[in-house]
Amino acid sequence: MAVGPAAPARVAPVSRVPGPAEPIDVTVVGRRMAAADVVELTVARPATEPLPQWTPGAHVDVLLPTGAVRQYSLCGDPADDRSWRLGVLREPAGRGGSGWLCEHAVEGTSLTLRGPRNNFALVDAERYVFVAGGVGITPVLPMVHAADRAGRPWTLWYGGRHRSSMAFLDELTRYGDRVRIRPEDESGLLDLAGVLADAGPGTLVYCCGPAGLIDAMQNRCRSLPAGTLRVERFTAVSQPVDDGADRDIEVLCQASGLTVPVPAGCGILDAVRRAGLDVLSSCTEGICGTCETTVLDGVPEHRDSLLTEEERAAGDTMMICVSRARGDRLVLDL
Amino acid sequence: MPHVQNGWYLAAWSDEVGRTLTQRWIAGNPVCLYRLGDGTPVALEDRCPHRKFPLSLGRLDGDVLECNYHGYRFDGTGACVGVAEQQDRPRAAARRFRLLERDGIVWIWPGDPDRADESQLPDTSWLTDPNWTHVQGVLPLKARHLLLVENLLDLSHETFLHPTTIGNAAVAATPIEVTTAGPKVYFQRRMIGVPAPPFYQKSMGLTGLVDRWQDGEFHPPGIFVLNIRLAATGTEEPEGFHMKVLYGMTPATEHECHDFYALARDYAIDDEQLTTFQHEQQLAVMAEDVQALEVQEVMYATERRRVAESSIRSDLAALRGRRVLRKMLAAEAAEEEAAAGRMPAAR
Repeated sequence: MAVGPAAPARVAPVSRVPGPAEPIDVTVVGRRMAAADVVELTVARPATEPLPQWTPGAHVDVLLPTGAVRQYSLCGDPADDRSWRLGVLREPAGRGGSGWLCEHAVEGTSLTLRGPRNNFALVDAERYVFVAGGVGITPVLPMVHAADRAGRPWTLWYGGRHRSSMAFLDELTRYGDRVRIRPEDESGLLDLAGVLADAGPGTLVYCCGPAGLIDAMQNRCRSLPAGTLRVERFTAVSQPVDDGADRDIEVLCQASGLTVPVPAGCGILDAVRRAGLDVLSSCTEGICGTCETTVLDGVPEHRDSLLTEEERAAGDTMMICVSRARGDRLVLDL
Repeated sequence: MPHVQNGWYLAAWSDEVGRTLTQRWIAGNPVCLYRLGDGTPVALEDRCPHRKFPLSLGRLDGDVLECNYHGYRFDGTGACVGVAEQQDRPRAAARRFRLLERDGIVWIWPGDPDRADESQLPDTSWLTDPNWTHVQGVLPLKARHLLLVENLLDLSHETFLHPTTIGNAAVAATPIEVTTAGPKVYFQRRMIGVPAPPFYQKSMGLTGLVDRWQDGEFHPPGIFVLNIRLAATGTEEPEGFHMKVLYGMTPATEHECHDFYALARDYAIDDEQLTTFQHEQQLAVMAEDVQALEVQEVMYATERRRVAESSIRSDLAALRGRRVLRKMLAAEAAEEEAAAGRMPAAR
């Protein structure tokens, strides 16, 4: 009798699944309006070949024909390896990325994606408080489903401008009063003190939404144990771009007291070296881990191959040869 | 570099432990191994609590171990039960290590026995499964533990170090996929439609192109399991030839290891000639590895100014493994520091 390898889960599927750095060609197979300003796109590979695995909180890069790269959270079911669902906010200003998708992506449109990656992974906890603002609901939605399936107590606070602008309300009704829908025109801004009243010991708080909401949550959560609040900044105007055409950022090197500007197109490692710091490195491709640096503040945009999902989500360390910042500024232990 | 203490290491094959006292260094600890009369394996720190004399140089008197220097006597729990020829019964004990015997292996947990977690051990039931057959042994290795770990987590070296047995160009040419689950590191290499290296041609009669799978599992700090599957190209699971290799990568001291191996197959299990051939080949492969790691050890140990190593993509599993070990060590060092700092305050 033949006995298979120890872990059948890792046996290669019949067709190859693209790796995280490889482009994935997909076709739009479904489009609907999930809210007044949110276009929901469902995409699949040709011949419905399997897509890579993902976990709640993951995002993909969409490589647009305009040359722009935009990131969107996956908001479908992680168990579905044949199609992915994205929620795209139609931006009034009509910036390159989402505007193009909202106007041009219809059933049959070909798109190129990359990923998925997860900088916002759902870590096991005794209970959860989820806070979503606007289209920030997209990474939170699969988290809610996962927490519920795992039998963990949770609550979701979901704010938006007005009810008609809030996506996926239909999918959330089945959870009853564990979902607190708070449209601004009906109930004002989210009552963060009330939100955090549920956050006892053993609770993790996940927040995604506009910068103002995240900043306010971060202020509110300072008294909670470190690591309680997990955020993903999700603003239409400053979404991290991942095609190498980076924005300028600033790195404060805490140990040496230097503030180093890192212009677009220049790596953090190169910039701090030019500023006179002696930093060990080897591969400069994010493989070897030699240049690993402790992150004291700010959120790294991980582009290395070495860190695990858990380490990425923790965000307290980064490979400065290839990785950058999700915000404008990082404080590093250099 | 010190060694992780809170983790399982392969201490011995069951048939190596008996009614004679045997010394084996494990993760920097001298260990005295023996069995009680009822067959229970025992591991005591091989230092008499009196004057540190190796207990393994003593003798067994029934279930009592007597030190051959001044006659301290210990029961199977390590407790001192008296001193031969003397009235004193000192309140002393030799440290007893947590052991677990399963599937013909004596595993040891050198650290806190209360934290020994059986669920961290990989499945080894195939060592006793009647549908499988295996050969096993242990080789001494004069190289640091990490070099052995990295050797097994980066099998691209088969192409260059083992070209007459298990390696050919396909190994190094095929990228690996690496995944992690907690501290465990997994890699898979799927070689599809490639020639079979000589060992597999002769072991399996595969002369045409094959699909060759390597599924490696690193169970840190010291266990590696390789799941091997070969079949004529295009053959689907579960058809094909399956082999498994278990490596107990047990550090002895800072620059020495015990290189335990078990090589198993699920086909032609009664073919003793094949078993002999495979064992010879396994030993030939390991001789090449031992030689390589020992000269590598010299190069690491003598480098006056440490220059960062170059790394490439095929190093990823090994680098993950290295990182996991470093984290485990750092966590143990931090715990020790904290414990040392807390103790005075607690008094």
